[in-house]
Parts: sequence; C-alpha cells; structure tokens
Amino acid sequence: MTGARWRSGARDAALLTPALAVLALLFGGAIVGVTRVSLIPLGQNASLDAWRDLFGDPLFGDAVVFTLRTALISTTLAALVALGLALAAQRRGTLVRSLLALPVPVPHLLVATVAVVWLAPGGLADRILGGLPVTLVRDSGGLGIVLVYVYKEAPFLLLLVLAALGRGHQESDEAAAALGVTPLQRLRWVTWPTVRSPLVVGSIVVFAFALGAFEVPLAVGPSYPPTIAEYARQATQGDLISGQSTAAATLLLSAAGSIALAALAVRAARDPQGG
Amino acid sequence: MAERLSRPAAGVLAALVAVPLLALVVRAFADEWRAPALVPQQFGLRGVEVAFSGSSGEAFGNSLVVALAAAALALLLAWPAARVLGERRLRHPAPVFLLLAMPLLVPSYAVGTGLTEWFIRLDLDGTLPALVAGHLTFVLPYVILVLLSGFGPRLTALEEVAQVNGLSPLRRMLWVTLPAAAPTVGAAALIGFLVSWSDYGTSLAVGGGRPMLPVVLLPFVGADPQVAATLALLFLAPAVAVLALAVRAGRMPL
Amino acid sequence: MNGYELDCRDLSVSPGGSPVLRELSLTISAGSRTALVGPSGAGKTTLLRAISGLAPIETGAILLGGEPIHHRAVHRRAIAVVFQEPRLLPHLDVQDNVALALRAAGVGRSERRRLAGAQLEEVGLGGRAKQRVQGLSGGEQQRVALARALCADPRLLLLDEPLAALDPNRRAALRRVIVELQQRRRLTTVIVTHDHSEAAELGQQIALMLEGRIVQHDEPRALFERPVSAAVARFFGVANLIPEGSDTLAIRPEHVRLSRDGGLRGTVVEAVYAGDHVRVAIDSDGRRLHAHVAPPDAPRAGEQVGVILPDEHLWRLPSGPSGEAAEVADG
Repeated sequence: MTGARWRSGARDAALLTPALAVLALLFGGAIVGVTRVSLIPLGQNASLDAWRDLFGDPLFGDAVVFTLRTALISTTLAALVALGLALAAQRRGTLVRSLLALPVPVPHLLVATVAVVWLAPGGLADRILGGLPVTLVRDSGGLGIVLVYVYKEAPFLLLLVLAALGRGHQESDEAAAALGVTPLQRLRWVTWPTVRSPLVVGSIVVFAFALGAFEVPLAVGPSYPPTIAEYARQATQGDLISGQSTAAATLLLSAAGSIALAALAVRAARDPQGG
Repeated sequence: MAERLSRPAAGVLAALVAVPLLALVVRAFADEWRAPALVPQQFGLRGVEVAFSGSSGEAFGNSLVVALAAAALALLLAWPAARVLGERRLRHPAPVFLLLAMPLLVPSYAVGTGLTEWFIRLDLDGTLPALVAGHLTFVLPYVILVLLSGFGPRLTALEEVAQVNGLSPLRRMLWVTLPAAAPTVGAAALIGFLVSWSDYGTSLAVGGGRPMLPVVLLPFVGADPQVAATLALLFLAPAVAVLALAVRAGRMPL
Repeated sequence: MNGYELDCRDLSVSPGGSPVLRELSLTISAGSRTALVGPSGAGKTTLLRAISGLAPIETGAILLGGEPIHHRAVHRRAIAVVFQEPRLLPHLDVQDNVALALRAAGVGRSERRRLAGAQLEEVGLGGRAKQRVQGLSGGEQQRVALARALCADPRLLLLDEPLAALDPNRRAALRRVIVELQQRRRLTTVIVTHDHSEAAELGQQIALMLEGRIVQHDEPRALFERPVSAAVARFFGVANLIPEGSDTLAIRPEHVRLSRDGGLRGTVVEAVYAGDHVRVAIDSDGRRLHAHVAPPDAPRAGEQVGVILPDEHLWRLPSGPSGEAAEVADG
C-alpha cells in the first residue's frame, strides 16, 4: 500500500523545505547577483566587457597562478601532516588529541596575527634565533600563507582522519602485521582505504577555502601578486562602474572553479584506480 | 596506560599552544618593543586606547550579534532537515547534499558580493539583518551537517521507548529528544557561531562600512602590531570560551 | 489484578513496502504468558511493533480487553514494551528511568520514586536507584528496562528477545525473574524468542510464526511432540519425518531407541558427541533416521543397529494444506 509511504514522503519534503528553501534563495541569489553584475555594469547595457578585460589582464593570470599554487601546496602539506599526526596520535589519550585539535576553533586571521608577531622579520623568532634564515612572512613565494593554512587546516583534517580511524583501524593494522605485511604495505592496504574518503572530502573543503579566502594572504602574504579574491577587491577600488563588474566576473569564475575542481576531485576519489 | 607515555608529548604541545598566546598578550601591552630586545622596553595601555578609540567596540558587538543570530536561526531551520537527513529517510539524498556543499566551496567574498546586489536594491545594504542573511548562507550548511549526526537509529530507539511509556509528542520532545540530542545541538551551535565569527569575505562585502571585527583587525596587522595584538585577543575571546565550554562538557570530539 | 485478552484479527503489515504479516490472527488469553517463536525474518518483531503501534497496520484489527486499540497512538495503548536493547535514557539515573511512565501520568516526584524503588526491589536491583545507567552491566540494564515496563502498570507486556544480548548464566536468572513477576501480577505477556527450548520454559503457551502467519498455537508439549506440519516439526527439532502411505509419521530423536537386534536394520552413518547426548544418524532402507542416545550406550559409525520407534511416541502429522505429508526431513 503506497498511501502511507506517500504521506511520509510528503512529510519529509515539508520538513526539509524551510532549510533548503532558505539556502537555495540565499545561495542562488548570490550566484545570480554576481552573474548579473558581471554582465550588466551599473547603469549600462549588458556586455561581456568585464569578462574580456579579465582574461586580457596579465595581473589576473598571475593572481590565478599564485592562488592555485598556494592553495595546492597548503592543502597537500596539511593533508600529509594530518595523516602523519593521526597515525602518531591514534594510540594517544584524549589529552594529546585535544591539544592537537586546538587550532580548529581559532579564526584564521588570529593565526595570521600570531604568525606576524612571531615569524615576521623583527618578530620574536627572529630575535630569539638571532636572525631567520628564510623570510617567512610577506615573502614573494607565499611561504607565510602556506604556514598559516597548514597550522589551521592540518588539525581540522586530523579530526576527520581520527574519526575515520576510530577503534577498528588499530586492530586491522595489528592483524595485518601479524600476517607479515610490512609497514609500508599496511599504509597502502589498510590505512589509506580507511582514511581516503574523509581526507579527500576534507581536503576539497580546505582547498576551496584557500582558493577563495583573502584575509590570510593580506596579513602575511606578499603584496604582489594578489590572490584572486584580493584582485577582485582591488578592482572594486578602481573604476567605479566597470570595477564592480570585473570583480563580479572574477568571483564568479572563482566560485565556478572551486565547484568544478571539487567535482573533479570527487570523481577522482571514487575511481578505484585513483589513489 | 598510553596516557602516561604521552605526558611529555602533551607538555610539548601545551607549550606550543601557550607560548604564542603569551607572546600575543605581551605584545598587546607593550607600548615600546624594539628589536632585538626579548622583553618590551615599555609596557602600557596604548594598544587598548587606540583599539577602542576607533570602531572596535562596535565591531565586536556587531560580530557577536551577527554570529549569535546566524547560529540560532540556522539551528531552527536545520533541526527538521537534519532529522530527515540523519535518519536516512531520503531515497535520493545526493542533490540535497550538493546544495549543502556548494556554499561551503564557494569563496565567502563571492557570496557576499552577489547578495549585496540584492541588498542594495532592497535598501538593506550594510544592515545587521543583511549580514545575518549573508552569513546564514554558509552557517546553515555547516549546522545541518553537524546536527544530522545526532539523529539516527539510536535516538529513534529512545523515542520509541518514550512512546510506549505513554509520553505525548510534546513531552517526548522535552524529556527525551532534546536532552539526548543536546551534545550534538551544542556542537552544531558552536560551529555555526565560530564560522560566522571568523568570516571575513562576506562581512567585508555585505557590511558596506558597518564594522565587523575581522575586517577592523586586518589593517592593523603589519601596520601596528600592538593594536593588532590587542584586537586579536578580543577576537580570540569567544574561541577560548568555546573551548572552555567544550572541555568542561567533555565534548572534545575525540 | 485482572488480565486483559489480546486479540489480533487478520493483521496485514508491510513495513518498508514488502508484506511481512499476512492476515495474521492470534488470541492471547487474559493473564497468560505466551512465547512467540519463529525463525529470523518470520515477522515476530513486526507483530510486536504492530501491536504496540510502532508499526502501522494495513488491514485487520487489534483488541485489548475487548476494546479496539489499533487506531490509538502509541502512547495511549497502555502496552509496555521491553526491547532487545535496554534503551535506557542516558541522561537520567536508574530510578528516573524506571519512573518515566509515572512522570508522564502526572504522579508526584516522591510518590513515583517510591514506586520505582519498589519495582527495582522486585527485579533484584534495590539500592541501585540513584546510579547512572552507564555503569550497569547488560543484564542489569535489561532488568531496569523490565522494571520500567512494569512500573507503567500496563495491560499488556511485550518482550522482544529480551535475553538475546545476555550470556547463558544471566539469561537463566532473568528468565526466572520474568516468569515470577508475570505469575505474581497475572499480566498478559508475550515474549518473543528464536530459541525453542527457551520458549518452552518461558511460555505457558507457544505460538509458532512462519512467514507472517501463526502456524501452531498450543501448550509447549504439543509443538514439541504433536506438530501440525513438517515445518513446525523441523523448527522444534522433530528430526524424524517418515512417510507412510499418504501420511507422515513423526518422532523425536530423544524417543528413538537403538538395539542390537530387532527393529528396523540400519547402519550408523554418523555419531557426534554433544556433551549430554550423542547425535546418531542412521541409514535404514534408504531412509535417514536420527536418534539422541546417552553417551555410554552410543554406537559408533559404521556399526549395524536396530531402530525401534515406540508407538506411544509416534505422531501422525495431520494431512492437508499444512500437512505436507510427503516431505521427509533429511539431516
């Protein structure tokens, strides 16, 4: 009898509607708004000028390369650190785990501030060590940005990985070891399949954030090249009319890029051959 | 057990956490601290004065109100949705999760810029409700995702017990469902608050000049480290409160 | 305390789309203790959920004490359920868990704590009233769940495999508690179990459920020694089903006697030591027969023996739709 099932399906839809409707309205509205501004500059007719200017601007190209590079390096390092810490910490008690998870509720900008106090030229580390060998803050490579992101995101990924390892992983690992499987093999055949999915999903979120955020690079990054988001913001400070459109176009591209990259990564993660 | 072995490790980690924080506190109250001295030449309250002479107090208040409102609103909207999703009642959940994921992937500055378009038209640009709406775009997905882990066969089993013990639906909600789901609701509220509190991009785009704490803090980093450190401590306050609450409730997820 | 009769008429229930209960009818007399048995998947839990209201019914009716209850909400049926897992509320202590139904009924705090305390005494947990539930063992938690159900003063008590999660010693103890409490209150009780010997001990009557229907409902002896069909016979361990003409004769392995000479000749195919008896399988005239023999008298594999089937223990299966007369059970 489908009557009862149809009714409960309708009830579920009603329960979901408030949240989903609000979300669709806000997010959809944002995307539509950004698209609109990029195509219709203030008080003018629709045109693709903003987009053409964007692709023609070498600064934009530099920004994209720079942002992609820092995001990729940060995410990869954070994932590796998280994996390593998880394996080291899985036997430890709650105290160690809690301490490792400490940076998670701390805002990014705060970490950046602390990084500047400590790691900038003239900062505390510089004074204690009598000179830093490498410029860590405001360096042209964006090393400061990477450090801050890794410090913030590795604990977040660590939580995800530890949750996935749970209680069962240690037992499976020991069973495999007793069968003569080497540590490296165990890493590939026992550990990786367990953590792969949450680590990949978490890394996607981290990568997307690094791609679009700009407070950390503004605080500890070089002034040139800007990140994609900073490029958009600078555009709004320029020409009052076309600037908005350029900014909007940049942001729309950035948003689409994040989603596309995420979709690709999910597809790659599902592929049994991939990693 | 393993706890004893990890004391030195815990000690090192605790130091790694406490020392930078200590430096921040010292920096905030150091009127003069020229290199290469390891101790400030002069302590003082200049940082506090400058920080609060501007709009920082207002910024703190704005950020707090927006974060609390966004988290509360998100919880209300998320509760029914999280029930359905957590109990796996959907035949095809993928599109729903896609809708939840997209605001988290897209830069918050993009979301803010897009929404500002409409807020300007509605004459809401720069108002607190507009900021709450803007923040809600990504706070709501986070809250739903965390909240749904609290629902499922375990909670349903307890609710069935309540039913067969003669509890009416209202009593079930008050005496069984809410207390049993409380830890997860708490975690979801905390995360919703923190995500909004820390946000820069949407606050910048939608704020339209209304001061929000991260936006006020950023220019001082690098320009005036003392004021930056002062504001950073202010910025840190809720995070510390959150941690204290979580540790006390034994809620650290591991 | 007067008991209430449970009458299920033509119940059809299809949780999740596929039919599980097919026009099932079952009457449990007031104040009696019935064990509901059947293989996994037969629908026992579904029946309990339907009676308590946790699963909606499609057709049929449920009457308790003559009153129809199948339209009532779960919390208005005056039926208490003890589930397979204790399902204690983690944020309440033991006595507040036990007193839950009283609180719902509006009983004052001191009164309901007094009643809860008394109930805990009855299940052997007096003095544990203020403990947190997390510290209790599995068996203790089930007793608290039982106390909670009784405290609700229900008209019908349903227990869904309450002993399944316990080890054998605890199981025996809890069985005794259940039987004693039920006898003292004369509360109409249905206990689901998949273990047929436990059913014999727990139930004044046994109802066997196969594929969504009640197949036989009688005193335990009847199901063990006078099954109505080959399927029932098999479930209760009547391993010998011998076709005779158009009928089938059934006899339990415990009642089969082996001798040196006389009886049906056969060869011992297998003799497995099972602690308190030896399971012997004999090939006789192309037919497989089973006997449970005391270890000292047991033959060994390969020996020639004579099989005697005493008349007083032979049972003729009723032929007809449930008779399945031509089926022979094989080991």
